[in-house]
Amino acid sequence: MLVIWKREKPLENAIEVKELTKFFGSLLAVDHVSFEVKGKEIFGLLGPNGAGKTTTIRMICGMLRPTSGTTVVAGFDVSQKPQEVKRRIGLVPDISNLFGELSARINLEFMGKLYGLNKKTRRERIDQVLELFQLKERQNDLVKYYSKGMHRRLTIAAALIHQPEILIMDEPTSGLDAQTARLVREIILNLNKEGRTILLTTHQIDEADRLAQRVGIIDRGRLIALNTPEQLKNSIQGMRALEIKILDGIDQQKWLPILRQAEGVDNITVAEGKIRILSKDLSQIIPTVVNVVNKHGGKIENISVAQPSLEDAFISLTGKSIREEPMSKEDYLKRRLSRSGMR
Amino acid sequence: MKAFTPLTSLMHSIYIAENDLRQSFKSVRHVVWSLLFPIFMMFTFSFKYGATGPDIQFIKDFLIPGIVGMTAMFGSINETMSIVWDKSLGVFDRILAAPVSSASIIVGKTMAGAVMGVISALVLLIIGSTLFSVAFANIGAVLIIILLASFSFTGIGTIISGLASEPREAMMLSNLLRFPMMFLGGVFFPIGAMPMPLPYIARALPLTYATEALGAIQTGNPFTVFFDAIVLLFYTVGTILFGSQILMRIMTR
Repeated sequence: MLVIWKREKPLENAIEVKELTKFFGSLLAVDHVSFEVKGKEIFGLLGPNGAGKTTTIRMICGMLRPTSGTTVVAGFDVSQKPQEVKRRIGLVPDISNLFGELSARINLEFMGKLYGLNKKTRRERIDQVLELFQLKERQNDLVKYYSKGMHRRLTIAAALIHQPEILIMDEPTSGLDAQTARLVREIILNLNKEGRTILLTTHQIDEADRLAQRVGIIDRGRLIALNTPEQLKNSIQGMRALEIKILDGIDQQKWLPILRQAEGVDNITVAEGKIRILSKDLSQIIPTVVNVVNKHGGKIENISVAQPSLEDAFISLTGKSIREEPMSKEDYLKRRLSRSGMR
Repeated sequence: MKAFTPLTSLMHSIYIAENDLRQSFKSVRHVVWSLLFPIFMMFTFSFKYGATGPDIQFIKDFLIPGIVGMTAMFGSINETMSIVWDKSLGVFDRILAAPVSSASIIVGKTMAGAVMGVISALVLLIIGSTLFSVAFANIGAVLIIILLASFSFTGIGTIISGLASEPREAMMLSNLLRFPMMFLGGVFFPIGAMPMPLPYIARALPLTYATEALGAIQTGNPFTVFFDAIVLLFYTVGTILFGSQILMRIMTR
């Protein structure tokens, strides 16, 4: 295992974000976001695409200047001492941005040089991370010939070359197959066990649930909830989730407006081909739903009761499912602006 | 706020330049293709129209200097274009996320562009002079002119890279500048033979001064060489300052 950067007194707050705001022209991407990431915790920023997660992260890393608000990382104000901050964080971006025309080893060499490591330290650290991420055999191959999973592993390895105490990961498992995603999650948990603080963003609720000790829910640039996954689930305590599948064609979507009218329905979404209804009163809602469906000529194929999940908490907070939301033109523009290289 | 010593900053620039050039030379095909174009042009234009064979005097005093200047232009501008590619592939973020100053990044990219310009120009110089067995009168002066020219083209490259938002736009912008420069910059057609008002346009282009100076070295005209070198120096300072300003602005937004 890697030796982490040793600090005499552990930081209470690794990252402190206060009233962070970013406008791209007249477009408000991040709206007065405040949160703290405690030392040695895994903090998850959860939100749909275009919610402002990447923009927030880029401001924390000193790659984007906020319109207003402050960020303190490891005790250094990002706008005052960006280089001190950059030295202490490792960034794993959402796309694996490595130099494809160069080998893994040379990519890591370059990163080591930029972080001011001497030749001997570089060699040791590179051997270490290549070993850890099982890339040793392919270290001299050009990165463009790597598989997606190898890309991801190397991207994480590159962020660890200077042994940062804080690791910031943007959508660490997006676009990965299940097996690689599991591996990456294991890596994240291990890195945290070593004492590293991890801030990650995700649009996958189960990932936030599984990895993060605390979760901030961000939607349309605003932080709308912040708590442990358990507390977030408890916040909709008393609610139960009902999952039904209606045997009428394939499109469950068209039942949404009909069922939303029914009494006792607090929230309703379609997820994975099933209609999920949140309600406080289960004994009343079941007959109501059955009646409504019958009245409209549908047949219930399947009905089940579930414990509220983090997804339900998300739905009740934002009024929509994280998966179903298509990207609006504005979201797309925000995404382009926040990700286009140097902006 | 003093984050780095000058030496650290310089080392950062060297690492960035080294990394850029390493990628360019890694792709052998890329290097070969980019050199084939000027070689082919040199070969074609070595046959003067109406003449039965190559005119050695024309090749020595005009064509090779022109092609060498043009190659420096292509080499430098192409290399600097890597900024736009880096931006679009996200690898630029890698450098931005590292504790490196914006100035180091710009200096590094400029170094890479200039080195590429000088190397490609020298390769063409060697090929040209070997192929037609002509010698260059003053290799020291030739090197100075090539270096100045490469830096000024690099400056143009950084301006394009700063203005373009994606690679295709950068390619179009750079062609918009490179092709007129190639035909008006005294590479294939002497400025003296151009109809009005083309000579005025030619006088506004840095390539004109590069090719003219290289030609003047051959014909032994030190005053012209000196004058052109000064103009190129002004071009270098101007374009690099302007280019860095644009890059700096988008980097520290």
